[in-house]
Amino acid sequence: MATATDEELVRKSKEGDERAFGELVSRYESKVYSLALRMVRNPEDAEDVLQDTFLRAYRGIKSFQGASTFSTWIYRITANSALMRLRKKQLPTVSIDDAEERETPVNIADWTPGPVEQLLSQELQHEMDEAIEALPPEFRQVFVLRDVEEMSNAEVAEILDLSVAAVKSRLHRARLKVRNRLAGYFSDNAKPKRSAMGAH
Amino acid sequence: MLTCKEVLESLSDYLDADMKEDIVNEMKRHIGSCSDCRAEFDTLTMTIKLYKHEHIQGAQVMPVGCHDRLVKVLELEKMKSKGPQPPKMV
Repeated sequence: MATATDEELVRKSKEGDERAFGELVSRYESKVYSLALRMVRNPEDAEDVLQDTFLRAYRGIKSFQGASTFSTWIYRITANSALMRLRKKQLPTVSIDDAEERETPVNIADWTPGPVEQLLSQELQHEMDEAIEALPPEFRQVFVLRDVEEMSNAEVAEILDLSVAAVKSRLHRARLKVRNRLAGYFSDNAKPKRSAMGAH
Repeated sequence: MLTCKEVLESLSDYLDADMKEDIVNEMKRHIGSCSDCRAEFDTLTMTIKLYKHEHIQGAQVMPVGCHDRLVKVLELEKMKSKGPQPPKMV
């Protein structure tokens, strides 16, 4: 069973083979959990999204037509489930229409020289998490799938049922928002920390 | 000749190497000679690098018991749809 392709496992699952569906669960549960956690930002909600995703997949596998791959299908269910959870919680994020960014953040040129490893501290990682959390859910989906999970624009478009143009537009705006937040962090914190580390 | 506004609007496509070669060359020229747009480009590039690096470093692990709870939820669903005593799923 472990060597079967996703397509074979899907075909068997559609015929009612529980072990085949179980293998799909084993194959994708970590990826689904990881994606859910990056979107909803806490382990309890991520586990709820994980369970909801595979419940929906279990109920819907017989009507899954195979127009997309199983992985695209399961990530689409995950992204929708996470989005619904975020909306239900009504977290204090700005709406997608109000999410325009100013063109130039403060002190932007200050933090780019030097290797990534030198900049990454626990505090910065926390700030990076907060920056994602502050994104409107629709932007967060695109940013996480594209820049964190490193999927292509076409894959993200397929998962979120958007046009590639819409993905690109949301991605650009999300990147600016996240970058501006990090620029704010660096303008407040980076100079003393980096001089303490002997950098620049 | 591209304006700063046009460059800023196209920065993500430029970063993702998702544009025609002649525009890429114009973007390159503009960013090379405009310090504001270069700063925009550098900071956006670094932002993406930081997230990619963090993603590689910090793989998300499922909590203990998470898999078992998922299997239980699915077993319950199966019982609901097909009646009692289902065979073990995983």
